[in-house]
Amino acid sequence: MKKMIAWIDARFPLTHFIKHELTDYPTPRNLSYWWGFGFLAGFVLVIQLVTGIFLAMHYKADSNLAFDSVQHIMRDVNYGWLIRYLHSTGASAFFAVIYIHMARTLYYGSYRRPRELLWWTGQGLLLLMMATAFMGYLLPWGQMSYWGATVITNLFSATPIIGDQIVIWLRGGFAVDDPTLTRFFSMHYLFPFLISAAAVIHLIALHTVRSSNPSGLNLSDKDNIPFHPYFTIKDLFGLGVFMLVYFGIVFFDPELVIDVTNNIPANPMQTPADIVPEWYFLPFYAILRAVPDLIGGVVAMALSVLIFAALPYLDRSRISGGAIYRPVYRTMFYVFIVDIFVLGYVGAHPPESVLKVVGEVATAIYFSTFLLLPFLSRWEEGYLLKRGLPVEVMEMTQKEIEEAR
Amino acid sequence: MNHFRLWALFASLACTMNGTALAAGDKAAILQRGAHVATEVCNACHSLKYLKYSDFLKLGFTKQQVDVMRGDRNMGDPLIAQMAPGDALAAFGIVPPDLSLMAKAREGGVGYIDSMITGFYTAANGNTDNHVFPGIKMPDILGISQADPTSRKALLVKAEDVSTFLGWAADPMAESRENLGYAVMAYVFVLTVLLYLLKRKIWKRLE
Repeated sequence: MKKMIAWIDARFPLTHFIKHELTDYPTPRNLSYWWGFGFLAGFVLVIQLVTGIFLAMHYKADSNLAFDSVQHIMRDVNYGWLIRYLHSTGASAFFAVIYIHMARTLYYGSYRRPRELLWWTGQGLLLLMMATAFMGYLLPWGQMSYWGATVITNLFSATPIIGDQIVIWLRGGFAVDDPTLTRFFSMHYLFPFLISAAAVIHLIALHTVRSSNPSGLNLSDKDNIPFHPYFTIKDLFGLGVFMLVYFGIVFFDPELVIDVTNNIPANPMQTPADIVPEWYFLPFYAILRAVPDLIGGVVAMALSVLIFAALPYLDRSRISGGAIYRPVYRTMFYVFIVDIFVLGYVGAHPPESVLKVVGEVATAIYFSTFLLLPFLSRWEEGYLLKRGLPVEVMEMTQKEIEEAR
Repeated sequence: MNHFRLWALFASLACTMNGTALAAGDKAAILQRGAHVATEVCNACHSLKYLKYSDFLKLGFTKQQVDVMRGDRNMGDPLIAQMAPGDALAAFGIVPPDLSLMAKAREGGVGYIDSMITGFYTAANGNTDNHVFPGIKMPDILGISQADPTSRKALLVKAEDVSTFLGWAADPMAESRENLGYAVMAYVFVLTVLLYLLKRKIWKRLE
């Protein structure tokens, strides 16, 4: 065995890789459980890939057969119901885990220098995930699948000049139909491999700049501990807790994450009373509807996702530790989180009277959080320095500190 | 999203704890009675195409009983409607929807179906209408709008039986799913506790 590993090591850095990137990888000892969600995201990605491959063996990407083939999986295929519910619940679990992962990044300011690229690769992953989830949602060919795909592909008609052509090109016809289903199925099978590759890039970026930590300070070497066994076991315990929640839904309330309307086969002649996306798109959907004009709404919705990429530049504070040493930033964080839940609620309901106004206000708060950040973060920095914040928690030179005071 | 479902889960757990949950035998009897209503009444106009006659064996019917239910159809045949879709369209102006997923396809599920089939009443103009689904094209098949208080009681039981059956038809794997679920949850719970203890033990080395 030893001889064989030596043979491999002479030709491929196997031992070196395992030692440097896995077992001995230096990790801040003060990481809390909030740092375990990246690992969970990787785990859910594997669940989705494996269950998806097995679902594809029994699923028929044909508008006349798709809905029936899902019922075939649910009733006739051995443990087909388990594979399908693991997959449908897994999609929601993936977004839940990623949103918590992002919220941790925001709270602790982990997106800041030198982790901008790490943050942006994560943004790319989120966009890929959203596209994958959207295309996957068409495949059961239920009413909400059909009309959700119709509404979202129609948004591309907002593109100047060639808008209508783009919509036809995306759908493979004038309306969502069999060609749309087959191409979405093909892309839904492809994208997870792109996600896997992007996840590797995300990890390479992580291992270059190393994990941030709750203190926000760059720790000295003595405060780092090897990833194995400390974080392997910590992450595995986190995985156990995650599985309790995940399997709880899979086995006892799997239809919780499936809209009842999607248990009705797609019917192009009958629009559902209320077209609602899955819960993980609701806040963005509320922003789309808060702007009365189609082009404005689409731009606002796109910006609401893409604007996260600007955070390393919008946040001009040089005080470490994200929200923990920064009361103003912390307040903004909590307002933003509450605002997202409000938007989610608005997105789930028809935009009538009061809710319409609430949606508009919440959208305004959403964007003003980002737009006020450059000013509030600088003001907060000066305020805290005047109040005698210890110099150790700042990434500033003495001269910069004097200026800021 | 169905907001009732989680509450229904808590409610059923609570019922299990006070012992008010239906005994397994009662549930089987209800499902068998409901299956008779579904095949003899509903299936006249509605299909239940994701069910096969052989599925009734899972409800405890004997092969002979299923033979009577299926008539000249085969054991592996789906429950398509007895009435041809064209005839139904001519009679009702609509092809009656398939019922095999109905309990999952309406907000409120089994409760919705129960309220709907018992929701018929005679309106002031003498026409029959429905409280839950105004303007429904389905006739008052149980005759609930014409029933006197005594016959009404029996009809309500009949409605509950068939609604419960349709709940089973929409999710026939529910029982085996939950049974497997208890084992999985117990396993993962023990595993998680062990992982936590191991984590504590390993992290002690740092002190």
